[in-house]
Amino acid sequence: MLSSSELQALRLSLQAASLGVLLGFPVALGVAWILVKTEMRGKLALEILVSFPLALPPVITGYALLLLLSREGIIGRFLNWAFGIDLLFTWIAAALAAGLVSLPLMVRAIEVALAGVDPRLEKAARSLGAGPVRTLFSVTFPLAYRGMAAAALLGFARGLGEFGATIVVAGNIPGLTQTLPLAIFTDLQAGDDHAALRLVAISVILAAISLTIHHVLIHKRSLLRRRPT
Amino acid sequence: MTTYPIICLNLRKRFPGFQLSVDADLPAGIAAVFGPSGSGKTTLLNCIAGLDRPDEGEIRLQRQTLYSHVEGINLAPERRRVGYVFQDNLLFPHLNVQDNIHYGYKLTPESRRRISPAQLVDLLELGPLMYRPTKNLSGGEQQRVALARALAASPDLLLLDEPLTGLHLSIRGRILRYLKKIHRELAIPMLYVSHSISEVIALADSALVLDKGRQVALDEPRTLLGQSAAAPLIAGDSVENIFDVTIIERLPESGITLAALGETTLALPWTNIPVGQPVSVSIRASDVILASERPRSISARNILEARVDRVDTAGRSILVHARLEQPWISEITPDALANLNLREGEPVYLIIKSSSISLLD
Repeated sequence: MLSSSELQALRLSLQAASLGVLLGFPVALGVAWILVKTEMRGKLALEILVSFPLALPPVITGYALLLLLSREGIIGRFLNWAFGIDLLFTWIAAALAAGLVSLPLMVRAIEVALAGVDPRLEKAARSLGAGPVRTLFSVTFPLAYRGMAAAALLGFARGLGEFGATIVVAGNIPGLTQTLPLAIFTDLQAGDDHAALRLVAISVILAAISLTIHHVLIHKRSLLRRRPT
Repeated sequence: MTTYPIICLNLRKRFPGFQLSVDADLPAGIAAVFGPSGSGKTTLLNCIAGLDRPDEGEIRLQRQTLYSHVEGINLAPERRRVGYVFQDNLLFPHLNVQDNIHYGYKLTPESRRRISPAQLVDLLELGPLMYRPTKNLSGGEQQRVALARALAASPDLLLLDEPLTGLHLSIRGRILRYLKKIHRELAIPMLYVSHSISEVIALADSALVLDKGRQVALDEPRTLLGQSAAAPLIAGDSVENIFDVTIIERLPESGITLAALGETTLALPWTNIPVGQPVSVSIRASDVILASERPRSISARNILEARVDRVDTAGRSILVHARLEQPWISEITPDALANLNLREGEPVYLIIKSSSISLLD
């Protein structure tokens, strides 16, 4: 049904979006936790910093990432020195781009999820002998898990559609870094509308699936009707 | 038996427009914190539990310093060993009853476990509830689970924030009996917040009275009724006599139920409660009629001979403390007092209609 190059673009998109969420989610969780649950100074600055990818053109986010990952950049130099690797123009760079642009979305969604947990339940856990970390894992996260899962899915959906930052840090190499949006762009450039539309259809299906699951998580609705208890 | 612990409180906590200032050594047993809403009762509990930090002062429990401004000590809540039953229970909604109760128990080091969940399930009669989700429990059931959850961590002190508020009147008595039972069998000192003087009298050995953050009295609950500082806070609150009784006989033809209050037999309204079952009863002080002589023929079913302990003036009404086996309170008007000629130690008859006795279950 799909050509091997189309399958590769699909696989790369899923890989990049998944790894992006995997890497971005813990960061988003940490930031959201600081913003919601602590009285730390400089919360506004932190919030603005992580929100930049939302407001700036993705090209700029990609450019910033390019500068960080290049041989002269802090991260690039460290990775080269420690492991002898260069991430630029690999699918991992595409994943980092996807994670970075979806970070502000995930932070916002996790903030909502964490703020929905009654802080007095956390206080109850503390009075029962749980330290702050145990309270987080035994009370806060279990009560916020739907919202947190929804946040991850939102990040995943955003990562799938990532274009601007990806093309800057990962290029557009078929089979290596060419994700669905990049492949669509290439097909359009080549005037192959038919090929582009096939990929558009795949993208629409993927987006519909993730947004449906997201909706179910947010609205606590089970797709299977639950028997009344 | 170890010596009974004592809580030493000496703290100040400021909020905009409000300051809590307490300096009290609370004696052993059940201590009450009494005061109108907004008097700082919950803030005081939060400071003891470590959920709020005082601005200055010291909090000690037994020999342990929980907080000391001077020494720079502020133990984290999880290291204080202070159990807390919150006003609205705050059971963990993602855990069932059993897991709620085991939450604190599992976090308690084995060497410090004095109370087992099994013991609590037995004591608080939670057996049938164990595998239920907490959201399906009634208010009284939630309250019992919250109690068990706090106690399962074997705390050195139990804080209770208005545990009867929001509960249906009829189950207040049952929770009160559970609290007494817990205190008796587990020997855990309790600090009980309430805005009902009747509850305080029924339960506590001592009461700390707060008003707008200020400590206005620290005394045995009954004596508060006559104190000028505390009485205005109580006025308007109808004083009740709350007793634990046991049903001894049901008389359907007579329309009454007989119950034992110690050696005394009380006639209660007709009820379905089986013989032998303990229940709590509440009798408003204003429903206790006093007579200086035993009336010969009267419709009221209860005539009890007691002795006058003390007469307190609380605003426009008079509270007469009389003693049988239990201390009773009767509220009368100054005019009635003038007619009765009551003297301390002299006999007085308490007259109570059976219909004035309400069952608290």
